[in-house]
Amino acid sequence: MRASLARFILRVAAWLPLTFAIWYLAAPLLAWPVALLAELFMKSAFGDLIRGVEQSGALLTFITSLKPAQGTLPGAARAVVSAESNVLLFSFGFPMLAALILAAREPHLVRHLLVGYFVLLPFQTWGVVVDVLKNVVILAPPAISAQTGFDSWQREVIVFAYQFGSLILPTVAPAIVWVLMHRRFLENFATQARGGTAQTPSATGAEHSR
Amino acid sequence: MIKFFVWFLALQAGLFGLELTPWAQQWFVVPWTNTLAAISASIVKLFDPEVISHGKVLQSTSSGFAVSIEAGCNGVEATIVLVAAILSFPAKWSRKLIGLAAGVVAVQGLNIVRVISLFYLGQWNFNVFEWAHLYVWQALIMLDVLIVWLLWVRTLPRAAPAVSA
Repeated sequence: MRASLARFILRVAAWLPLTFAIWYLAAPLLAWPVALLAELFMKSAFGDLIRGVEQSGALLTFITSLKPAQGTLPGAARAVVSAESNVLLFSFGFPMLAALILAAREPHLVRHLLVGYFVLLPFQTWGVVVDVLKNVVILAPPAISAQTGFDSWQREVIVFAYQFGSLILPTVAPAIVWVLMHRRFLENFATQARGGTAQTPSATGAEHSR
Repeated sequence: MIKFFVWFLALQAGLFGLELTPWAQQWFVVPWTNTLAAISASIVKLFDPEVISHGKVLQSTSSGFAVSIEAGCNGVEATIVLVAAILSFPAKWSRKLIGLAAGVVAVQGLNIVRVISLFYLGQWNFNVFEWAHLYVWQALIMLDVLIVWLLWVRTLPRAAPAVSA
């Protein structure tokens, strides 16, 4: 290992402001595949529930086939319900991953960044999809949510999937991706601490008890 | 490595599911979140006496501004990730317990810094508060978990090569 943990942490801290700034400025572009994947998944999995997705920056608006409650809006008979989701809320782990990749200074930086971005897309899509489902199935007024036809157990699954997709996945998925892409870095890192020189790409060399 | 990740994901999902149960919320999450608000208030009072906590809320008595510590900001999820990572990694139980004790303190310590910083950022600029709250601090807490786990892994002795008789 070329540098100590302290130097690695400092490099991560130095890269974070830049990666966050680029991620924010490039959000409309970075969020575009998420919009496509989310629309594809929603139309495949939930049939007629979603008519289309509109993107404005990192904000996705899902046009549903659900009708507003009668009498709540003028012209409600022709209106449909829409639900919004902000991709930034589920993609902020990417600048964290980028900072970790850049700070590790391993070969193939660009390839790692691209792989990391594409690997995280399904997790970001998960967040957006369950966010939209939460909005129309759980948070919408009963007159609207009843039209979705979800059973109570399906609502429970949506609540769990939303909590997992918003509280755990956005940060854990990038950390896992980084660990998987930098196994040799981590092995060297551990070996250096023990005063060794081994460079085996395995993280199972520690003592076992399980 | 595959075994580690399978255990890690399973433990993490299990602990997270457990956290969401009414029992865990009533007996662990809510009391912990209230304690976190009280600890944060007691630290802030050292330099700003016009701050109180009630329940999970940290409030300024002078400006009336308050922050409520909600799920995702009480450090419970980050702790679950750390616990799953340490328990899943092959090591002696004594070392796992030491790692858990030190790691939980490190994660929750930084989380208190997050709560206090957000309390003041919110009074200064709401846009900055939103950015720090929704994106930056979430990433920093997970980096803390990752670094604590890396430090712990570094302390583990390498297994002796197997000897065949």
